[in-house]
Amino acid sequence: MSETVLSIRDLKVEFDVPSGRLPAVNGVSLDLRAGELLALVGESGSGKSALTMGLTGLNRGPRTHISGTADYRGTDLVAASRKQLQTIRGADIAVVFQDALAALNPVQRVGKQVAEMIRQHQKISRADALTKAQTLLGDVGIPNPQQSARAYPHQLSGGMRQRVMIAIALANDPGVLIADEPTTALDVTIQAQVLALLKRMQAEHGSAIVLITHDLGVVAEVADRIAVMYAGRIVEVGTRDEVLNSPQHPYTIGLLNSMPRIDGPRPRRLAAIKGSPLSGVKRPDGCAFAARCEFVHDACAERPELAQRTAEPDHLDACFLPAEAKSAALRAGAA
Amino acid sequence: MTTTTVAARQPPRRSLGGLPRMIALRLLTIPLVLWALATLVFVALRLLPGSPATSLAGGGSTDQSAAQLTANAAEISANLGLDKSLPQQYLIYLRDLVTGDFGSSYFGGNDVLGLIGNALPATIELTVAAMLIAVVLGGVTGLWAALRKDTWVDTTTRAAATVTFSLPWFALGVLGIVVFGVWLGWLPVIGRVPNQLSYQPLTNFVLVDAMLQDRPELIWPWIQHLILPASTLALSTAGFITRIVRASVLEVLGDDFVRTAQMKGLDENQVVRRHVLRNASLPIITVLGLQFGTLLGGSTVTETVFSYPGVGVLLVDAVLQRDYPVVQGAALAIALLFTLVNAAVDILYLVLDPRLGES
Ligand SMILES: Nc1ncnc2c1ncn2[C@@H]1O[C@H](COP(=O)(O)OP(=O)(O)O)[C@@H](O)[C@H]1O
Ligand SMILES: [Mg+2]
Repeated sequence: MSETVLSIRDLKVEFDVPSGRLPAVNGVSLDLRAGELLALVGESGSGKSALTMGLTGLNRGPRTHISGTADYRGTDLVAASRKQLQTIRGADIAVVFQDALAALNPVQRVGKQVAEMIRQHQKISRADALTKAQTLLGDVGIPNPQQSARAYPHQLSGGMRQRVMIAIALANDPGVLIADEPTTALDVTIQAQVLALLKRMQAEHGSAIVLITHDLGVVAEVADRIAVMYAGRIVEVGTRDEVLNSPQHPYTIGLLNSMPRIDGPRPRRLAAIKGSPLSGVKRPDGCAFAARCEFVHDACAERPELAQRTAEPDHLDACFLPAEAKSAALRAGAA
Repeated sequence: MTTTTVAARQPPRRSLGGLPRMIALRLLTIPLVLWALATLVFVALRLLPGSPATSLAGGGSTDQSAAQLTANAAEISANLGLDKSLPQQYLIYLRDLVTGDFGSSYFGGNDVLGLIGNALPATIELTVAAMLIAVVLGGVTGLWAALRKDTWVDTTTRAAATVTFSLPWFALGVLGIVVFGVWLGWLPVIGRVPNQLSYQPLTNFVLVDAMLQDRPELIWPWIQHLILPASTLALSTAGFITRIVRASVLEVLGDDFVRTAQMKGLDENQVVRRHVLRNASLPIITVLGLQFGTLLGGSTVTETVFSYPGVGVLLVDAVLQRDYPVVQGAALAIALLFTLVNAAVDILYLVLDPRLGES
């Protein structure tokens, strides 16, 4: 087992909203291992962005309450001062945002935007930073990097812009790269290219990557491990094969069943999970998924902790139901 | 050559073909605007009750009979060409304008271009000084309020801005004169340069002349004379700029690329300096161009209050006397200035925002 770069314990991110305090992240514990690609999967609104923005402090503000701990190589990101976070951001933890067009400064050439990231954390001349930026742009697959560095974001295609974002994020070889739905805004062929790029960069830069997505299909090819998030909590985490081949939580099963398959037998229908995700400020004492769960029983009135419930030591889930009942359901869904 | 097909999607350099064309198009609108304005002034003047002939005819002696007055007026009308039909007068007026003939004053016969050449630089000095004060004051307070949103700084700044925004220039000018000129005696309240300095205008821009004629002693008194009228004029515009700057900065602060800048590890100052200001300045610049027009309008009142020898005073006096050529000339000069400034603003906008100026 490799070293842990980021160790999250009981992290909560809550927002003051008109109706009260919204627990967007409701007690998450998760370890990120050096150099791995962890896919963080969950329906929109499950708190994936709130979790990762909470780690970087990018959603700090008077209406945000963050508690718990997030240990990055000895620094607790939750308790870190703004100054501390500024030295960590960009150098140790970087983010690729979903909408690259909005995330890039519209009136600045992209080469300069990459160079800025380099100069913020390395002692290097302006000219050298720009040369390095051009090299990085070439590395992420942008053609004619010298010329492209002079382009403004709107002059590039969506895929190229996202490559620029990735070049920015990787500029200082961060220990952790968070990619928040980096391909959602792109069309399918470009999506695959960008994912392949992330996978390649993971190896070349040695960064651990948290790849956020609401689409399990996206991660099947690239993820080392998968964490499934529901209503602000991790409901299941394990290696890619564990989670995809023997999912333990009914929510994971539901997500898998609603995935169109190209390889295996086609589901009769896209078995979308019935009901809608929790979004209000009130949360049940017990399992948050109970209201939508076809296996719900008395035990679910109590909150199931994320724990090892199978023979696999790395495979954790938060469901009381015995494994046999669930694998039967999985077969039924895939039939 | 597989890379070129991919690269074809992205023009790496800004295609300059679009930009000069758009600038040229923008400049082409200037004569149109001026023509419309010249027409408007022409019509407005003729709609005003009273004619230059009657005020001229009554000007000389006091004991003329009504019949004499009318006869004199008719003769003067004929001399000035005012007996012709309005369309005829209009055509002559346009023809003269095109040939650069602005005519001469009905009263005293001074060449209109000469009058404007004397007065316009003074007005430009006043307006530019006011603009500078307003931009600095409004920019700093607006930025400060935005960065300290919802704190007492923000609330106080906004309240102050709203108050200045609604103060009339005239009242402000008089207040300034009473407080700083009369009570405190800190600042001169009348004119542009003290007479005893015997300023010999060359370009009529004091700063330029001071350098050309090597007379640095002109500069400080000139600034002293500018402070009160320019500040008076600037205050309400500053309040307006405060509000615009605050709104623009707040809007940009909510943009995604600001979060990217924070993600890079930039501190608040760096984020604002490198990413917020330029983006926020785009909408502000447009407003500044329009505010320049407001300042020109306000300078008329301000010049009158401070007996400042600018185009505003020239215009007001000429309107009262129905001195058509001077009114037309002065109004056109102000309009030209305003139009040029706005064209410059639009062009600046095209240059500053790379998303524009491309086909
Ligand atoms: N700044 C915020 N203020 C209030 N509520 C927020 C804020 N950010 C996110 N939320 C809410 O928190 C929940 C989780 O949001 P988010 O983390 O963006 O979900 P995801 O990224 O998984 O789609 C949602 O209900 C969202 O409305
Ligand atoms: Mg999200």
